[in-house]
Amino acid sequence: MAAAVETNLQPRYIDVDRQVQRAMAPGGLTYWMWVLFCAFLTALGIGFWTNQVYKGLGVTGLTEPTMWAPYITNFVFWVGIAHCGTLISAILFLFRVRWRTAIYRCAETMTVFAVATAGLFPLIHLGRLWFFYFVVPYPNERYLQPDFRSPLVWDFFAIGTYLTISTVFLLTGLIPDCANARELATGWRKTLYSIFSFGWQGTDRQWRNFQMVYLLLAGFATPLVLSVHSVVSWDFAMTQVPGWHSTIFAPYFVAGAIFSGCAFVMTLIIPLRRFWRLQDVVTIWHLDNLSKIVLLTSLIISYSYCVESFMVWYSQDPLEMTTFHQRYFGPQGYLFWIMVTCNCVIPLLLFSPRVRTNTVSLFIISIFVNIGMWLERFVIIAGSLATNTMPSQWRFYTPHVTEVVITVASFGWFLMNFSLFAKFMPIVSMTEMKEGISWLRQAVRTSYPYQKAA
Amino acid sequence: MSEVAVISTFESDEECAQGIRALHDARIHEFRAFFPFPSEKILEAVDHVRSWGPSPVRYWQLFGGITGVLSAIALTFGTSWEWNLIVGGRPVISVPPYIIIMFELLILIGGLSGLTGFFVHNRMPVFDPLRGYRSRFSEDKFGLVVQCDEGVAGRVESVLRDAGAEDITREILEAATEHH
Repeated sequence: MAAAVETNLQPRYIDVDRQVQRAMAPGGLTYWMWVLFCAFLTALGIGFWTNQVYKGLGVTGLTEPTMWAPYITNFVFWVGIAHCGTLISAILFLFRVRWRTAIYRCAETMTVFAVATAGLFPLIHLGRLWFFYFVVPYPNERYLQPDFRSPLVWDFFAIGTYLTISTVFLLTGLIPDCANARELATGWRKTLYSIFSFGWQGTDRQWRNFQMVYLLLAGFATPLVLSVHSVVSWDFAMTQVPGWHSTIFAPYFVAGAIFSGCAFVMTLIIPLRRFWRLQDVVTIWHLDNLSKIVLLTSLIISYSYCVESFMVWYSQDPLEMTTFHQRYFGPQGYLFWIMVTCNCVIPLLLFSPRVRTNTVSLFIISIFVNIGMWLERFVIIAGSLATNTMPSQWRFYTPHVTEVVITVASFGWFLMNFSLFAKFMPIVSMTEMKEGISWLRQAVRTSYPYQKAA
Repeated sequence: MSEVAVISTFESDEECAQGIRALHDARIHEFRAFFPFPSEKILEAVDHVRSWGPSPVRYWQLFGGITGVLSAIALTFGTSWEWNLIVGGRPVISVPPYIIIMFELLILIGGLSGLTGFFVHNRMPVFDPLRGYRSRFSEDKFGLVVQCDEGVAGRVESVLRDAGAEDITREILEAATEHH
């Protein structure tokens, strides 16, 4: 028995390769049916979007005063989801948090595809999307330049930089793993991994430069990740709209983004480890730690909801008071209370170690958090616009089929890209897992003696 | 006398680091290490032996970051002077919002130039395997490849074996044939 325990505590490096490669094995019928289903949703969304471009925004439920509703909600939601990837990969890397190793690749991949999805929504939202390039600063014959004092231009720079740096960070980390996969692959996969490994061979010089560039990219990505959602929040906070014009928005949005992002990582990784049998790599210890972040950020945003409401009450500003009264008790007040239940009440279950170590309960909680965080953005964006400073204009947004389909299609588009990437690229970092595998096993056995260690 | 490459394989990073130190003690400096993950033990041993210091990639990132800030200053200030429209009663040159653009371009150009430096200093992409590279060095084994005269090869092999090498191969550089 003692010998068996010793074996579990000292796994071979090749075991990590085998487990990760099992996930990269050619997909079965179920996998391709899933990808096809996601592709179908995407195609449906493209069809509805084409119709919207052809007929104009009149096919949607967008009307004065609520011109920003589900599309901008989706934009903020997906940027928020993207937030967590860089948090896990960069910030936890700088703090040398060991449990990030098994999940950071999944989180980074989620980040890149979530930003790519988010970036579509300002385009979808534009009535005349072919004039999108007006926001790009370049010398032109129109004698016009983007106004750098506008938060929308800040957004363009922030999202563009975040997408680029997140992609660079993901691809840099992939180089040694692709070299590893290259040596084990055959046929066209070998060619694919050879391209993405750029001829990496793991020499002392290569690793030295790799360590430096990875550290610096992590250092650059850390303030970037905090800035991106702050900039997104300023799209709202810089305006005079009651319900938006608040100094709390930047930290409030950042905490909410980390909350929703970590929950979304759980939504993705729990089925992934189950279907591709990655339980020995992505252990319950990783999920436990991730769920502690979800719990912490849930408490932070619960506090933010209270502070936001307190500030409105304390100001006694009639416009703000009315907006918030409508938010809580208006015709769409039920959305606010569903949001509070999903974001503030249900995550409290994570105080229980039993819940944190049960993958089914974690998956269900993560779904509730995703719903709650989407509703939070919707309540802030559409709810605040509906009750503007002219009561005669008040009108609550009602969704039409176009927005509903395009919103669902965005999930299809994201999940299709993520599923394809996860099947063809190492979704767990083999190099970093090898670096800390013995430590990981010991941590799992010490923390969860009742769990299967290997 | 022909030149040879002595290729040694180690089971663990600790043994490989020990091999590097043993080579240094034996005054053999022409070697290259291969390892499948960034082992601190090996990198420390290499740093100790080669006195390399931090990677020059950081300078690329620094100058990239400075270029980014300067580009943002030129873009924001320059275009505001050129198209000096007053919008919403705000000054034509509004420094606080421009800081956001400077920050974003610092990160963007700094990050991209750091990546460029990484490729330049690693001479990547590499199209052919380096001398002595074995596929298992990207998987689960650690390698030390020493390039030396054939007459010294015996001593090199002995040093590496004493350090714990589990397998040692000799490759004649001109003929590129292998024998144990």
